[in-house]
Amino acid sequence: MVEKPNQVNAGSKSGSPTMQATSKPTDLLSQHFSIRSLKLKTKQQELLIRVTILCLVYVLAFITRLFSVLRYESMIHEFDPYFNYRTTLFLTQKGFYEFWNWFDSESWYPLGRIIGGTLYPGLMVTAALIYWTMNVLRFAVHIREVCVLTAPFFASNTTLVAYFFGKEIWDTGAGLVAAALIAICPGYISRSVAGSYDNEGVAIFALLFTFYLFVKAVNTGSLAWSLASAFGYFYMVSAWGGYVFIINLIPLYVLVLLITGRYSMRLYVAYNCMYVLGMLLAMQIRFVGFQHVQSGEHMAAMGVFFLLQVFYFLDWVKHQLNDTRLFQAFLRITVSTAVVVGAIAIGVGTASGYISPWTGRFYSLLDPTYAKDHIPIIASVSEHQPTAWSSFMFDFHILLLLFPAGLYFCFKRLSDATIFIVMYGLTSMYFAGVMVRLILVATPAVCLISAIAVSATIKNLTQVLRAKPKVAQTGSSRGGSSGKASSKGSLDQSQPISKNGAIALLFGAFYLLSRYAIHCTWVTSEAYSSPSIVLAARGAHGNRVIFDDYREAYFWLRQNTPPDAKVMSWWDYGYQITAMGNRTVIVDNNTWNNTHIATVGRAMSSYEDEAYEIMRSLDVDYVLVVFGGVTGYSSDDINKFLWMVRIGGGIFPVIKEPDYLVNGEYRVDKGAAPKMLNCLMYKLSYYRFGELTTEYGKPPGYDRARGVEIGNKDIKLEYLEEAFTTSNWIVRIYKVKPPKNRW
Amino acid sequence: MARSTGEDAQALFHSLRSAYAATPKNLKIIDLYVAFAVFTALIQVAYMAMVGSFPFNSFLSGILSCTGTAVLAVCLRIQVNKENKEFKDLPPERAYADFVLCNLVLHLVIMNFLG
Amino acid sequence: MARSPLILVALISLIPLLCHSFSPETPTGRRILVLVDDLAVKSSQSLYFKSLSSRGYELDFKLADDPKIALQRYGQYLYDGLVLFCPTVERFGGSIDQAAILDFVDSGHDLIIAADVQSSDLIREIATECGADFDEDPAAMVIDHINYAVSENEGDHTVIASDNLIKSDVILGSSKIEAPVLFQGIGHSLNPANSLVFKVLSASPATYSANPKSKLSSPPALTGSAISLVSVMQARNNARILISGSLSMFSNRFFRSGVQKAQSSTKHEKSGNEQFLTEISKWVFHERGHLKAVNVKHHKVGEEDEPAVYRIKDDLEYSVEIYEWSGSSWEPYVADDVQVQFYMMSPYVLKTLTSDKKGVYSTSFKVPDVYGVFQFKVEYEKLGYTTLSLSKQIPVRPFKHNEYERFIPAAYPYYGAAFSMMVGFFLFSFVHLYSK
Repeated sequence: MVEKPNQVNAGSKSGSPTMQATSKPTDLLSQHFSIRSLKLKTKQQELLIRVTILCLVYVLAFITRLFSVLRYESMIHEFDPYFNYRTTLFLTQKGFYEFWNWFDSESWYPLGRIIGGTLYPGLMVTAALIYWTMNVLRFAVHIREVCVLTAPFFASNTTLVAYFFGKEIWDTGAGLVAAALIAICPGYISRSVAGSYDNEGVAIFALLFTFYLFVKAVNTGSLAWSLASAFGYFYMVSAWGGYVFIINLIPLYVLVLLITGRYSMRLYVAYNCMYVLGMLLAMQIRFVGFQHVQSGEHMAAMGVFFLLQVFYFLDWVKHQLNDTRLFQAFLRITVSTAVVVGAIAIGVGTASGYISPWTGRFYSLLDPTYAKDHIPIIASVSEHQPTAWSSFMFDFHILLLLFPAGLYFCFKRLSDATIFIVMYGLTSMYFAGVMVRLILVATPAVCLISAIAVSATIKNLTQVLRAKPKVAQTGSSRGGSSGKASSKGSLDQSQPISKNGAIALLFGAFYLLSRYAIHCTWVTSEAYSSPSIVLAARGAHGNRVIFDDYREAYFWLRQNTPPDAKVMSWWDYGYQITAMGNRTVIVDNNTWNNTHIATVGRAMSSYEDEAYEIMRSLDVDYVLVVFGGVTGYSSDDINKFLWMVRIGGGIFPVIKEPDYLVNGEYRVDKGAAPKMLNCLMYKLSYYRFGELTTEYGKPPGYDRARGVEIGNKDIKLEYLEEAFTTSNWIVRIYKVKPPKNRW
Repeated sequence: MARSTGEDAQALFHSLRSAYAATPKNLKIIDLYVAFAVFTALIQVAYMAMVGSFPFNSFLSGILSCTGTAVLAVCLRIQVNKENKEFKDLPPERAYADFVLCNLVLHLVIMNFLG
Repeated sequence: MARSPLILVALISLIPLLCHSFSPETPTGRRILVLVDDLAVKSSQSLYFKSLSSRGYELDFKLADDPKIALQRYGQYLYDGLVLFCPTVERFGGSIDQAAILDFVDSGHDLIIAADVQSSDLIREIATECGADFDEDPAAMVIDHINYAVSENEGDHTVIASDNLIKSDVILGSSKIEAPVLFQGIGHSLNPANSLVFKVLSASPATYSANPKSKLSSPPALTGSAISLVSVMQARNNARILISGSLSMFSNRFFRSGVQKAQSSTKHEKSGNEQFLTEISKWVFHERGHLKAVNVKHHKVGEEDEPAVYRIKDDLEYSVEIYEWSGSSWEPYVADDVQVQFYMMSPYVLKTLTSDKKGVYSTSFKVPDVYGVFQFKVEYEKLGYTTLSLSKQIPVRPFKHNEYERFIPAAYPYYGAAFSMMVGFFLFSFVHLYSK
């Protein structure tokens, strides 16, 4: 029953979808012509074109993410995906129940980690299901390949959702453009290239799907759609912590509708069913648990839920009474009681600690400077930094310009659905500005809104092109279509754009869109397709040099250390060590225990003998540091070192940041602070580095990552010994000596 | 002030009652069902206040079971109510089927969450 | 073909060598290298050597500068113990040097060092590495004008009769040493940073260390009870080292001579040297005080097999068998002070093990309500005994989802409500469908 208006829309502009196949115009045009020759009816033709475009977009979204596989090999990227891969492997080998109850003694030694209760299992279960399905169908694939390709697969699915979403809020044309835009949008590709096996890969699909289903439910007022969106929400909760965005955005949306007087029964049905069932389903995820009723981040949803009940009740009473005076009296009584009861409930809940305060990450969303002042561990992650304008441009390109235009069109044709997309766009843009990685969340909204702009503009322009010779005909056809379209149509007609102008504008639009496509492909291949576990650089003669030091080091650990050896490293490398080196680590990327990380930070920033005590108390056998002085690799431990000092100093006040700085400046050369020159991290990074000539014409011990000659070339290790250094010195592993025999 | 409020409340109550008598029978049945669910939920809250919220998942599932039932029933009520113009297109059979589907999901999840 | 019998012969000749090598099963090694300055020592100290060889040790006397001496060949140590009766040697012959001797100790072998007046720097440095610093003045001797031995008095009171012995039956044997021990030589102090070395025979408060020939110009560096005459050290790998400042105390002359302490009327027929040095050599060569722990077992109460992981609040039993080497066989070790820790960063459980007098120590306790990677730790350090340091890692996991209590009585109303909702749903459906 929703189909009706859409079909009307679709029927009135049969040609437009071809024009919007912006990313691959030539292919589609040829398709279009071949179909013409078959002489199908217009409607069938239109359907066929639409399906073809969608299929092409689907394939495009997949293959544009395969650069990394072609350049390097089919492997997992970065840090977190290794944990996901390891857990997926466990899931496929041991089964779901073992996975659910998995207590991992290999990470966070000696605390251990309850994996089953501290992760979002959606991604792993999805990959395992794909894997099992493939096996049932007798496709013998390795689980790693499944993991590598999960994100591109879901990106393809996202394009479909974007199409339907676009269709729901605007028309099929906008849907198609949205699908095409989102398929190659760099903001999304950054998290969903092949090998980037992370929660976000499936979560964006789930996010958009939930929103789509919810909007659909609001539009129809159907319990079934609402139930479907509850399931979408459930999948999102199981996949990513970003579900908090949904559970706050939807109530906000409902609230805005209430305030603007757009409350309807459909909204009531959609929201309540979705909230109650979604919450109930979400509670089945162990990691989320009771947060929906306990944490402050979820209280908005609950508040809106009660508000809706009150609203409905008032509405019902009003309907029953048909008497303003009585109703006002009633209102006075109920509202005053409700306010008092609500205030008491919230007060008691917060005071008794039943409603937990907001978490740091949430605070830092609302106040971008919060993390910097209070929680170094959140601030230390580069993807939690506020976004720079350049990265907006980099990730969105022309969408950034189209976004306001799309907003304009949305405001021009306000409906429940467009209000939703406007709110989604505005809030997510705000969050994207606060945290770099939330650009990802904003991407679908930006694509959708831009798609509306593109679609509406091109549609208007083509109408101008067509309308001129046969004004009467278009006028009559429009009279038959729905009210909204006709009113808009008349508006368009009133703007006198000459035919040439329209053609010029159309070409301009195509030029912009093709620039966008070129930009996206370039960004994908250059910036977002490096796995960061294997580094590539240009050699002196322009040839490509591959540094595979990480895997070399992890393989060494796996082969040459006892199986129960404990490896201490900065937390960035924890997941990789457990997944590839199969050794126990002290801390890893799941930063749940600040004290433990601070202990490692303290060890790294202490003198060797103090560090030795700490390492003995943690039963550390090996210490792993990442060092880029030989290769010029800049994200090494020396450059992260100040964060170790800050995090360590946050818990242990003996570590003071000024001790490592000279006049507020961080340096490693001769002028460095004495404590800096003798702390464990410095010693381990630069041990025997003074003997090495890294660059012709420079003195030995010249650090290429920082471009200085190091200050302490004569480093003696007393409590540790060098165990292994990879071929390019990127990873260095040291063995902690046992206590002296005779002392 | 208090007195006028009391009078208002009385008048309110009477007019509400008379208006409600005109409601169709099937809606009244739904109302009864909703009232039953809300009543059960209130009993549980009272019980929780006395005994404490120790098996919190059981408490939540109990409460949410009632809340869910009530909310779904209200939704059904909205959809089958002939006075609501918004749902003219929705046949009551379809509304009822949706309702059953949601309830099945609700109770299955509750069963999972209860123990 | 001709070569294979040769190899066979070589192998056969190796077999006894292999059999004699030090092994944890028989901690008492049999082959001892004695390095002397002068082969005359062999006869002048013959009583001491006889006591060793009568206990089954094979003594191999070599001059310290013999160019053929070697401690190891092909990575195998040729000896289980080393006796350095060569206080004046400046350089060892063959492949032996200071580092070789320290490696010998660090790989678990025992060492006896006897220094003397005019000791070489080499011997001093080896002793320093073991935590004993000899008086830096090479001519210095330990002098005591109060506790000197009357019988051996030559007027300078350098022969001391000391009975300041460590009170440890493990080190000195169970029978009391009645007679004072004669000592003539150089004193040493212990490095305070070293926690493993301790005095066995210490000087009286009236002792000081100085050159007896020259007049005392400045206060002596070592005085009083800071001076140790004989010290022992047990390294972390249980190698044992005896450091003595006197070579002559091992001599037949001191073994046989009677002793009378100054200002004491009791005259002993025989000095305590023989008993003292024999007993302490038994300790050094692991005939006493050597413990081993075997069969560390832990399991849940009521089960036999060792689990790979425990759950919080499990009841478990832990047992370990501890034996002591008696010189010829392993005997059950009986004590009531062996403790086990259930340790993760700090001990969560600390329990004294109960012994069944047959060597088996056991206890049972409840796993604490904390998950993580725990260790069963037994750290047994008792004076004179080898250190037992056992640790066994075991993860402790939380409850699985189906291990929580299922039907809690307090929750019955909730169950009731949930089920009544289901029943209500059916009733309602029925009524709703048939009410039209």
